[in-house]
Amino acid sequence: MMNAVERYLAPTTLAQALAALATPGGATVLAGGTDLMPQANAGRVKAASTLLNIRRVQGLSAVALDGNALVIGTLATLATLQHDALVRAQAPLLVDAIDHFASDQIRNAATLGGNLCNASPAGDTLTPLLALDAQVELARLTDDGSIATRRLPLADFFIAPGRTRREPHELLTAVRVPLRGTGQIARFHKAGTRPALDISTISIALAAQRDDQGCLHDVRLALGAVAPTPVRAHRAEALLEGRRLDAALAAQAAQAAADEATPIDDVRATAWYRRELVNNLTRRMLDDVTQA
Amino acid sequence: MSLKHEIRFRLNGVEQRTSVDVGLSALQLLRDVIGLPGTKYGCGEGECGACTILVDGASVNACLLFAVDCDGRELTTIEGLAGDPRAQALRQAFVAHGAVQCGFCTPGMVVQATHLLAVEPKPDAASAKRAIEGNLCRCTGYQKIVDAIVDAGARLADTTAGDKQ
Amino acid sequence: MSALLTPPAASGSLIGQRIPKMDAPDKASGRTRYIHDIDLPGQLHAAILRSSRVHARILRIDTTAARALPGVHAVLTAADVPDQQPIGVAKDHLPLKRDRVRSVRDEIAAVAAETEAIARQALTLIEVEYEDLPVLADARDALAPGAPLIHPEPHGADPAKPGLKPGMPIAFAGKPDNIAMRFDYTHGDVAQGEAESDVVVEDSFSLHYVTHCCMGVSGVIAEFDARGNLLLYSNTQVPFLHKREFAEIFRMDPGRIRIIQPPIGGGFGSKLDIYPFEIISVYLARATGRPVKLLFNREEEFLASPTRQPVLLTLRSGCKRDGTLTFRSVRTLHDNGAYTSWGATTPFVMMQTFSSLYRVPHCDYHTLAVYTNNPYAGSFRGYGNLQATFAVEAHMDQMAEAIGMDPLAFRQKNAQLQGEVSGQGMVFRSCGFQDCLTSAAERSDFAHRHAEYAAQRNAPGAIKKGIGIASMLHVGGGAKIYPSDGCGTILKLDDFGHVTLITGASEIGQGSETVLSQLVCEELGLPMSAVTVVNNDTDITPWDVGVHASRTTFIAGNSAIGAARKARDKIFAAAAPRFDCAADDLALRDGHIVRRASGEPLIEIARFLRSLHFSDRAELVMTTFYYEPPSVHQDKGFKGDVSAAYAWAAQVVEVEVDTDTGVVRMLKVTGAHDVGRVLNRLGIEGQIEGGIVMGQGYALTENLLVENGNIRNPNFRDYKLVTAPEIPEMDIAFIESMDGEGPQGAKGVGEAPAICIAAATANAIYNATGVRITSLPFTPERVYRALHGVLPPVPPVPPIVERPA
Repeated sequence: MMNAVERYLAPTTLAQALAALATPGGATVLAGGTDLMPQANAGRVKAASTLLNIRRVQGLSAVALDGNALVIGTLATLATLQHDALVRAQAPLLVDAIDHFASDQIRNAATLGGNLCNASPAGDTLTPLLALDAQVELARLTDDGSIATRRLPLADFFIAPGRTRREPHELLTAVRVPLRGTGQIARFHKAGTRPALDISTISIALAAQRDDQGCLHDVRLALGAVAPTPVRAHRAEALLEGRRLDAALAAQAAQAAADEATPIDDVRATAWYRRELVNNLTRRMLDDVTQA
Repeated sequence: MSLKHEIRFRLNGVEQRTSVDVGLSALQLLRDVIGLPGTKYGCGEGECGACTILVDGASVNACLLFAVDCDGRELTTIEGLAGDPRAQALRQAFVAHGAVQCGFCTPGMVVQATHLLAVEPKPDAASAKRAIEGNLCRCTGYQKIVDAIVDAGARLADTTAGDKQ
Repeated sequence: MSALLTPPAASGSLIGQRIPKMDAPDKASGRTRYIHDIDLPGQLHAAILRSSRVHARILRIDTTAARALPGVHAVLTAADVPDQQPIGVAKDHLPLKRDRVRSVRDEIAAVAAETEAIARQALTLIEVEYEDLPVLADARDALAPGAPLIHPEPHGADPAKPGLKPGMPIAFAGKPDNIAMRFDYTHGDVAQGEAESDVVVEDSFSLHYVTHCCMGVSGVIAEFDARGNLLLYSNTQVPFLHKREFAEIFRMDPGRIRIIQPPIGGGFGSKLDIYPFEIISVYLARATGRPVKLLFNREEEFLASPTRQPVLLTLRSGCKRDGTLTFRSVRTLHDNGAYTSWGATTPFVMMQTFSSLYRVPHCDYHTLAVYTNNPYAGSFRGYGNLQATFAVEAHMDQMAEAIGMDPLAFRQKNAQLQGEVSGQGMVFRSCGFQDCLTSAAERSDFAHRHAEYAAQRNAPGAIKKGIGIASMLHVGGGAKIYPSDGCGTILKLDDFGHVTLITGASEIGQGSETVLSQLVCEELGLPMSAVTVVNNDTDITPWDVGVHASRTTFIAGNSAIGAARKARDKIFAAAAPRFDCAADDLALRDGHIVRRASGEPLIEIARFLRSLHFSDRAELVMTTFYYEPPSVHQDKGFKGDVSAAYAWAAQVVEVEVDTDTGVVRMLKVTGAHDVGRVLNRLGIEGQIEGGIVMGQGYALTENLLVENGNIRNPNFRDYKLVTAPEIPEMDIAFIESMDGEGPQGAKGVGEAPAICIAAATANAIYNATGVRITSLPFTPERVYRALHGVLPPVPPVPPIVERPA
């Protein structure tokens, strides 16, 4: 696979990187390498003629506030995000998920952008970002050589396992997470026997606002590893929207979420079991919110 | 044949310059090109931690790192930690606590634990266990490795505290 | 607490101390050179092409393109080595497959090239044309009349040649079935036993595929020197048996084969057999005239290594209302895979458990190993005992419950005492069985918690706690299955009081070199720093049968002690006249010859040795000793005192079951191990802790998924070893029953700690939930399905017809 590579580039500016992506034949993007290396070794990647190492591109790893959003640069490593004060304050759901991600060694190298573009239905940062209404920012070079960006809701970004709406000449440059006010509820759960170093059997991320009467608003329930992409359980969300949580509603919403999931049988678990997990763990999560 | 690219990097404090295949991993660079065998091949897919090295101060799996991406960076292997006080304390603790049996996972464990002590000087057992969750061991059952890490951290902290008096 | 026989160690004694492993400093600094780190000048790298079909005829192999690749020195197929000999326990395994492939790991071709990358690239250029054959993926299908024969060709050991042991059945050519091996065992009369029973339980159990996952992958380096002598760098656990087998295979004088054993990255029994990749490397070395190095990658390690023996087991057990066991009747079906390896012989060990774990007056056991197209099983720490104990200890709990007896009391009623002889003829000279049960139960608060958790089963809340107990019996003093179960030692003392201990016993990470040094230093009154161990070169070391059956401390230990005592006696014989006393009046302590009674030092040992050397006597102290344990070969009925000692352990496992997900967390393991005597406290704790966690993996997380002959998870991502955050709290106690034959009273423990964890866990899950699960592993999904009544039951093993006399 790597034998097909004829050119290796490690640019320091975004414009250079985008120019490389725009050339005929395209480029295989390398950042942390924690997905690309195993895939290349297994022959699962068809390397383009250019290997484009974007890790040295300036300005793509910052974490900052921009108006109503937390903006995370694509090259921020998961370890950095885990300890970043802004991320911990504004998106604790993401930090919770990263804590269950792989191992320290992998977190030190893996980038947020890489995890998103790898688009595994079980990707650990994907479900919480989906529940947080995140957007991705995609950059490309225009005909006159300037850089143009577009934003896409994360919910629209994933097409299928390993496939996103990023065009071959585009680079994911940032993730934008809308800031929430007070009354924010967030929960994350990854099923399994290990705290981390596991590809999720399922993962669940819940985000919502709770008002003074205890009613839930803007409910987002994201599920991982139960569909070709991470998905939102819309019917479960609709059941919960504007309502006060109690045990009966929790059970109803959990069942709806399980019914909406379309998991498969694979080497890790069967579809039947995954649905049971969605049901039981969603119910447990909602019960926990009720009691909080 | 594969495209080659020249890289310059610091390895265990010494400047290196070499030409590598673009598909080469840092693990292969260390073992096969440079000839440092202390970093081990355990799985090649970042699941076992036997290949753990330090890159720019943080621990990573050398099997997942592209050699070309080492350009301009600072790498430290188990060999390079010979004089490191944290690694020394860990090695002594590993020996004293019986944390070494076949020893194949040990270099990766020591490198990972050295990184842990740099960011969390006095970890407890729970922290130590999470820190090595990416390092597999088949012989010891991990208990004595955890004991050794906690003990090394405590001793280093006492030494530092003593120095400050 | 009963009186535990723990003799106080003499002051200055090393016995029972925490002694760091001698090679630990090198290993911790990354200095140790494993086989992967050794490179010989001029060496070539080898790679093997394995079958992409599960069962197929090989129609054509075209290696033309591979041979033409620059950097390739040789490409071999079966056609290039017409003198190939079949290998393995049943001699049914050709290293390079000729006409057929029978499993997905089958070796078809091999390449030696300048680099590993070129070798692996050459593999992709080899064209193979197959004609698929029907796949037998289930042992029961392979038994059906008319099933395709996996081995229609002649195979099997020559009955005229001395084989493994008398009476062991081996498959022969021409038999119209797929049976590779069978065992039949009886003691007493089970029909009578059943008639005397008030309670009879029968269940079927399914034990799964797991694999060793040594952290260091397999490898070998083969080199012929200019005289045609063969040098092998091998991680074998049985170097002398290996040497003999290689000599037979290559029709060489065994004296011209030398095996050097580099430090090993884990063994656990995986290196007890002879494997095609080793032989193929020798063929490549012969063909190229260069040293050839072959290393697996991790995927190949999963695909091509032997597994633990999977077992389908049906057990029928009985007892009287007063709790006395009456009988056990067992039949097992073993998936033999495509070729026969040590897995097929696990019944040797399993019958010890069925016949002798607890007092059982009547027992019969019938088993078949059946060829399929699945991966074959080898030897793996515990060697069938995990599987047997899983069933036996389930029934102990079930019968106790049926008669309303406390599970601990039921076990104590049937646990043997010192001096008893088991149904299979094993003599329990030292026996800490009762003490193990008592100790583990008391320290874990078993009785109280067992009752409390059972009472909580139907209480609200998804998280249930449970506690379960199980015990195990295993050989602790070797196993007399070969003509000899001995070990040789050569000892030399130099002019500076430094000891070179040359032992046949291999170090596989278990700490044998440290414990042997400890025993020698104890005899000679020298510090651990005074010993160098040589144990890794068959040109130098005396014979040892190998590292297996938990025998090394016991047998190699006694061998080392024997050599040390001879050295000591030689010193005393020379010193006595000089100090005008009898030899018996002298002792060795703290590097000195001393008066035994008063402790008065007379002379430094080193100084005395120099005076012996540079004198009229001109004598060096060099001694040898070969220790053969006083065990016996079993008779044709498998009866006999096969080991010089036996060891027990009892383990209590406490779990937490999440009934919403099926996740079982192992909270605590409380163990009591009858080890005879603790020698190196640090080493033995490490062995036990490692064994417990290996048992935890077997019980909860590890599962090699074999489907239609294919391994679906040949990687660490999907084959789950236990990681550090998952380990239980471990509380271990040692019962020192002071074995009369063991070195300083010690017995072997290498396999013991892994053996009854799964059994105790099953009992704990039952305690927590009221659900008994008879198949492993207890993954979240399996447990969840069992809790919801949708786990398919294990079908009974088909009846095994008694072999005609």
